[in-house]
Amino acid sequence: MISGTASVDELAGGAPEITAFGTEAVRLGGVTGLSLVAELRRPAREAVLPPGLHPIVPPAMSLQAWDVTESPWGAFSAAFVRVVCRSGARARTFCTGAAASTASAVQGLQTQFGFPARHADVSLRRHYDEVGLRVSAESNIGGGGSDGRGKGHDGGGGRGNGVMLSVSALDPDPLSVGDLQHVGSMNLAHTPLGLRLVQVETHHEPSRVERLAARIEAFDAAAWGQPLLDPYWVVSCSVSLEDVEIPAIRFVCDPALPAAEGTERVQ
Amino acid sequence: MKFGIFYELSVPRPFSRANEWLTYHNALEQCRVADELGFDHVWAVEHHFLEEYSHCPAPEVFLTAVAAQTQRIRVGHGAVVCVPEMNNPIRVAERAAALDIISNGRLELGTARSSTWTELGGFCADPDDTKKTWDEFCRVIPQMWTDDDFGWEGARFEMPARNVIPKPFQEPHPPMWVTVTTPGTELDAAERGLGCLGVSAAPFAEQERRTKEYYRRVANCDPVGSFVNDQVHTLNFLYCHEDYRQAAALGLPMVGAFSMSNAHLYFTREAYPTRAYQTLGNAGAALRSRGTPNGSAPADDPSVAKGLPEGVGIGDPDHLVRTIRKWDDVGVTGINFLLNAMEMIPQEQVLDSLRLFATEVIPQFQTPAERAARVEAPTTVPDVGASGSPAPSTMPAGANR
Repeated sequence: MISGTASVDELAGGAPEITAFGTEAVRLGGVTGLSLVAELRRPAREAVLPPGLHPIVPPAMSLQAWDVTESPWGAFSAAFVRVVCRSGARARTFCTGAAASTASAVQGLQTQFGFPARHADVSLRRHYDEVGLRVSAESNIGGGGSDGRGKGHDGGGGRGNGVMLSVSALDPDPLSVGDLQHVGSMNLAHTPLGLRLVQVETHHEPSRVERLAARIEAFDAAAWGQPLLDPYWVVSCSVSLEDVEIPAIRFVCDPALPAAEGTERVQ
Repeated sequence: MKFGIFYELSVPRPFSRANEWLTYHNALEQCRVADELGFDHVWAVEHHFLEEYSHCPAPEVFLTAVAAQTQRIRVGHGAVVCVPEMNNPIRVAERAAALDIISNGRLELGTARSSTWTELGGFCADPDDTKKTWDEFCRVIPQMWTDDDFGWEGARFEMPARNVIPKPFQEPHPPMWVTVTTPGTELDAAERGLGCLGVSAAPFAEQERRTKEYYRRVANCDPVGSFVNDQVHTLNFLYCHEDYRQAAALGLPMVGAFSMSNAHLYFTREAYPTRAYQTLGNAGAALRSRGTPNGSAPADDPSVAKGLPEGVGIGDPDHLVRTIRKWDDVGVTGINFLLNAMEMIPQEQVLDSLRLFATEVIPQFQTPAERAARVEAPTTVPDVGASGSPAPSTMPAGANR
């Protein structure tokens, strides 16, 4: 069994702070969600994960984006980059970076759930023939680029023009709402118990799910917290219309220890 | 009750040529000993790219060596992945027939479709199609074995008429099986007259439910082959020691390590949303069904290691007899055992476990006639005579059971 080899101290530098664990779930209503899985090259396998998590073979990354109509933080859009992994025997992801379109969403994602969120323009547009996602660190999306088609995007990774991520997906094909699998996120955060991996589950109630053929047109790995990420092979992409609930944190884990030894119950 | 041994050929890290050599050759020695002891089957999987968990992508090669080094034990090609990007059905039929000849008619052919993205993605196979191609393979392979002029125009496979040769030694053909990982596949097996080769652990009650439904449906099946194979086998672990505590001390870590390596596979459903894969595979199914042993913790508590399913073959002979009687009671006709994982148990102790099990446990599930047959009956081969022409009436032991 292989384990992560990333330095916990180095990872801790970018970790957000949870000053107190919340007790209430957060409900997100009227969500358009995009999920994309892509394989990573082998150098990223152990190197991007803390020792408490285990990589899978082949290494893979999960991109997720939400366009949220209703939430305690108001309407917002967000995107998450997560490395697929295992915590003990369980399927999880390790979040290396997140972006949200409003200050209140950034604040909520950071302080309630430990997502390493930053402010960015996040544009997720769903059409009957295509879906586009574009995340930009600056308000420089213009000239028709907001539909996510990627015209003029930096195909070499997105560096230099503020584009953190651009995805283009075509030909939606309906699936059953139960066909989409969601995996929880492990977020490294400074918590009242110390530096911990915070286990964030999301419960999804989709009313529509479609699978698409997707292409990553731009991806700035450094902007997502981990320069080694190189999503070179898209596995799948789906879009969903759903409501999402993020329950209050129940478990955290010492990032240096395997789950069986390092897990603590919060509530 | 039939007893088999089952190989994933899991290899310990760090990987080395020596570790892979050791794993293969330890397994071959175990097969020779199991043959002498009266075990009924040796099965070998087909998996690709599953580091640590299974380094067994060419089971037909491994099983050919087994066939050449043994006399009586049946060789289970379990299972061939029925996905055209991995295996052309013509090649499956040809290789299996050759192995049946080499083994003097001891082949059992399992069929499967792969459950991991690691494998399907590696071959650029479409997960949406694997159930369809599996179904088509299951129908064409027995026809290739029995027809001298076989052609096919199907949804995923076609060929102009040819005589696919050689024909298998067993007449009309070897028994066929399907590996059952996800609930519901046992019904696919029953409807096609295929044996149910369980490769995931299910509790007694769940296995009983599945087995009953299998037998109910197989009674009215439309067999894909020339006969119905209505056997139900399950997968288990085996470590048998006179002292229960010693058996547990060595056997349970092996079970835990193997189960953990299984949980670390990248199952198709997790990577690729599709109607064709409705569960995460055996690990996911097991996880969802279990919390802590007393049920006090939620099943998603990451500190709770995947627990042992009930009915595991770890213990002293008396315990194993009691355990196997329960499997017998729920209608299982055979149990295939994983003997080791990542070579955690030293080879001599694996062999001692096999010997103790064969001496103390297997006889409790055999009639005297069965015991005698296992020990004394050699494989029958054709009488080729002085002219070199085989006598057509000669049949191999175990053929067309």
